[in-house]
Amino acid sequence: MVIRMSYSRVVEQSDQAIRELTEAGEQILGYIYPHFPLEIAMAHGLLPSLVRTSPSAGGGYESSLQTFACSLTRNIFSQRASGHLTTFSGIVFSGNTCDSLQNVGEVWRKRFPDDKTFRLTYPAAIPSESSVTFLAEELRKFSVAIDSEFKMPFSEELFKDAVALISEIRESLQMLYAARVLSPKLLEYSTLSSLITGFLTAPTTSVLDNVLEIRSSTMEDLEMQVDRDLVSELQNAFLRKDLMDIGKFDESISIRLLLVGGMIETNALSEFLKSVPNFSEDMIILDLLSYGFKTAFTPSISLVGDPFENSARAILGSLGEPTQEGLSDRVRFLKEILSKLSINGLIICEQSFCDPDEFEAPSLARAAEDLQVPSVRLPIDPELSDRVRLEGRIQTFLETLM
Amino acid sequence: MGGHTFGIGLDIGSTTAKGVLIDETRKILAQHIQSMGASAAAAGREVLGVLTEVSGVQASDHKIVGTGYGRAMIEKSSENVTEITCHSIGVNSLNPDIRMLVDVGGQDSKVIRISSGGRPTDFEINDKCSAGTGRFLEVMAHVLEVSINELGPLALQSESPSKISSTCTVFAESEVVGRIGSGDSPADIAAGVHMAMASKIGTLAKRVGIIKPVGLTGGVALNPAFRHYLSENLEAEIWIPELPQLTGALGAAILALQ
Amino acid sequence: MIAVTEQKKEKAYRLLKSSALLQQIMFRYMMEGQIASEEGNLAWVTSGFPVEIPVAMNIGISYPEQYGAVVGSQRMGPELCGFAEGLGYSQELCSYARSSIGSVKHPDQSPLGGLPTPQALLACNNICGTVLRWYDTVSELTGAPVFLLDTPPLEGEQPEHHRDYVRKGLDKLVDFLEQVFGKPLADERMQEVALYSTEAVGLWTQCLEACKAKPSPLNCADRFLTMAPIVSLRGTDYVKDFYVSLLAEVKERISNGVGAIKEEKIRLLWDNIPPWFTIFRFFNGLAKRGVVFPADTYTHAWTGSIEGDNLFDSVVSIYSNVYLNKGLDAKIDKMCQLIQNYDLDGFIMFSVRSCKRYSLGQLVSKELVTERTGVPGVVIEGDMVDSRLFNEAQIQMRVDALLEMFA
Repeated sequence: MVIRMSYSRVVEQSDQAIRELTEAGEQILGYIYPHFPLEIAMAHGLLPSLVRTSPSAGGGYESSLQTFACSLTRNIFSQRASGHLTTFSGIVFSGNTCDSLQNVGEVWRKRFPDDKTFRLTYPAAIPSESSVTFLAEELRKFSVAIDSEFKMPFSEELFKDAVALISEIRESLQMLYAARVLSPKLLEYSTLSSLITGFLTAPTTSVLDNVLEIRSSTMEDLEMQVDRDLVSELQNAFLRKDLMDIGKFDESISIRLLLVGGMIETNALSEFLKSVPNFSEDMIILDLLSYGFKTAFTPSISLVGDPFENSARAILGSLGEPTQEGLSDRVRFLKEILSKLSINGLIICEQSFCDPDEFEAPSLARAAEDLQVPSVRLPIDPELSDRVRLEGRIQTFLETLM
Repeated sequence: MGGHTFGIGLDIGSTTAKGVLIDETRKILAQHIQSMGASAAAAGREVLGVLTEVSGVQASDHKIVGTGYGRAMIEKSSENVTEITCHSIGVNSLNPDIRMLVDVGGQDSKVIRISSGGRPTDFEINDKCSAGTGRFLEVMAHVLEVSINELGPLALQSESPSKISSTCTVFAESEVVGRIGSGDSPADIAAGVHMAMASKIGTLAKRVGIIKPVGLTGGVALNPAFRHYLSENLEAEIWIPELPQLTGALGAAILALQ
Repeated sequence: MIAVTEQKKEKAYRLLKSSALLQQIMFRYMMEGQIASEEGNLAWVTSGFPVEIPVAMNIGISYPEQYGAVVGSQRMGPELCGFAEGLGYSQELCSYARSSIGSVKHPDQSPLGGLPTPQALLACNNICGTVLRWYDTVSELTGAPVFLLDTPPLEGEQPEHHRDYVRKGLDKLVDFLEQVFGKPLADERMQEVALYSTEAVGLWTQCLEACKAKPSPLNCADRFLTMAPIVSLRGTDYVKDFYVSLLAEVKERISNGVGAIKEEKIRLLWDNIPPWFTIFRFFNGLAKRGVVFPADTYTHAWTGSIEGDNLFDSVVSIYSNVYLNKGLDAKIDKMCQLIQNYDLDGFIMFSVRSCKRYSLGQLVSKELVTERTGVPGVVIEGDMVDSRLFNEAQIQMRVDALLEMFA
């Protein structure tokens, strides 16, 4: 059985959920950088929600930001400047991830002084004990700031609940990622990405229910084809960032694509890809995107010991971003995925005017070339302003692979 | 291969609509180029009408492959394929030695690596910026107050091309105005404009990797100055088909036969 | 006949006598880099890197950003950036990075034959996040390992956990350098280097502050050129000689009432890196109209002294607190202070497409600086190395509009 769930329905549902939650008195804390300490926000009784880009955000940034600010930050800033994003009680910007995001956070404060904004600074160096300590202290400081802004103290009880909920959602998503690799036809990529969107929009129990429902039906179907142990083995391999040989893949799929890049919304991307002639969702074997794979494959938080240190450890345990040190490790992991998963086409997404994406892209393309895997670069912005040409790129790329 | 008796290729671009009708031996029975109107569908119908009239073959009864910007808008086309694949196949049928093709159209410039079988294996397309496209030359011709057809021959008269460094159409426009103001000759400025454009496309070419000889198609291939400066920039001989605007439609027609 | 008259006519701007010494010392720096590279003893460093540590370990140093300025001045930017674009690097990326990557790929077609090959790449992200990605790319091309000294940006005072984190980074740096170059760090040598660095920084600061005088003894281009040794030779024994000489010349100008330009009418602040490919044309053109720049935010970035009982702690504080590592408020404060202390009439902010860290925020700070100081300013947009992104006519028009406000 193929599970179908329209993406727009999920987004509608989650938007609706957010509205309802807000009306019910729930306070929503927006964040932009994907590696956000969800559980800590929830421990304060706040609901963390990704500030999503809008395909229809026109302008509004021009008097505050130059055109060379990255297209993601311009989009979000424009939304705010035109009076949107009102559901958020506060917004968290990241520090030390990229220059655009950091500076835009500061411009935001000047332009919208009444907004509650926070800055959470991340270490950029390769994770080590000193970076865990650093991030733990940042999280502690952040927690204090939330408390003083919202008068909602950190609750151990809520923290435990949040850890349990988020871990279960993440682990289920991980399982689905692993299952899709083994049998991409079982679950449409757009359905998987819409589950992640739901999670990013609001990590609630209804999102968990959704994920669990799809997980159980997917796993049931899968068990008819492959060993269930193989799924958890692959899941763990992804978490360890160390792949093993998986053996045979579904031979009915001849084009096997991997999507890589930074902070691109997976659902918007999959909607776009679906509109390209000759494209089929089965072709996407895996993504390594920030709001996709990296969101799912963050290790669970341990409940033993200091919550801030444990959160920091989990956050730094996920796959690194192009904003961080460790390019050679990321390239190594990419190569492993390309070869072990028999990928034969790499789509490299890059956010317009995003330094980290645009610097990383040539290295990723070279890595693919080393393994003789063709690649295509997709310079993309949230408005898909260059849509016709982007479609042409993908359609041509598929033609070169056929 | 099973194959069809006739194949029709329609290339609906941003500035012109092109069509080719071939028989099973790939012999061209009819070909047509016209400027694009407001509607891609209407242009497609018109081109089909001309192909039918010239060849005597009822075009709409046979397999049609559409390509170009408006490929998705073509009525009756049984398939739509990108112009990159079509140009590769078209060029390959005309000159099987070409491994690298530069195609410069009105809105796009592309660099394509072609396999010995005629299929594209790697490619680069310009980004949103229009500096490496036919549109760029149109804007510059307008600033220099010459027609687009006069721009190339004018540039070839230059002995010391002006330095036009901007690769942004808007910047280059004011740079050209500046050159006019400082008394550079129109020929020198026109040459500078072509050099800037060749350099932009040269960058795309380097990403794909230059393999000689290089093929050049698209409307801009008709411009002698661009050919000259591209050849200089790539340090390669340039091969151009007799009708460089039609190779996309030809490739589409060949695909329609298969 | 005409030529003779022109020679006799006094120029609108005055050349520094210390330029000759500057050339000598920079030539020495270049030769030393070359030799170090040949001996397997060269590190590339970013401009905000605590260079005193590798210098104290007797490791040779080269500065790619400064090389970027050379590429820009020689108008090779578009060509070298083009090489990087051919490798797949977007034109939207930093032109220092692009031209550097281009020159690594094609040293034979680069000024001075490219920078000497490095054995290590030392990046400190206190000036921007781009440096890490740039050096990562150079590492892929050369095989030299990268060390990142991570100095997370500050808002206000540096918190203790930031200090600890950066301090541990310095320990790792020493380990890294010992491992790559096989040389230990001796305390005495570190003290000596810190002293040289502090002396040079002290002299440089005096040169900068001397520009409070009217007429200002130095203009923007003067400072951008004479800052080269403070950027690239901090911690060496001979850098001091140059600044002693420069300071003497500056003082002499002041006591004779001689300004950097012939007739000083308008005093402006400059913000950001200059457009290297047109630096003389731009500033000298304005000098002819009586416009001088007694201060800028860029050359004031190297004014921290490493001193005290614990030199490493001092390094942590100095290098974490550089201008570009602090928030927008600190930048606005600094601009307002400079405008007040140097009695400036207005300001020009160069919005450099390459440099997001420096430039994003300028539209807001322009408004706030004017609000606080009452002086007008203008934002012009372009690039420091890639002249393809510089629209002279548009910039001229904006600058003219600013100058008309003083008429």
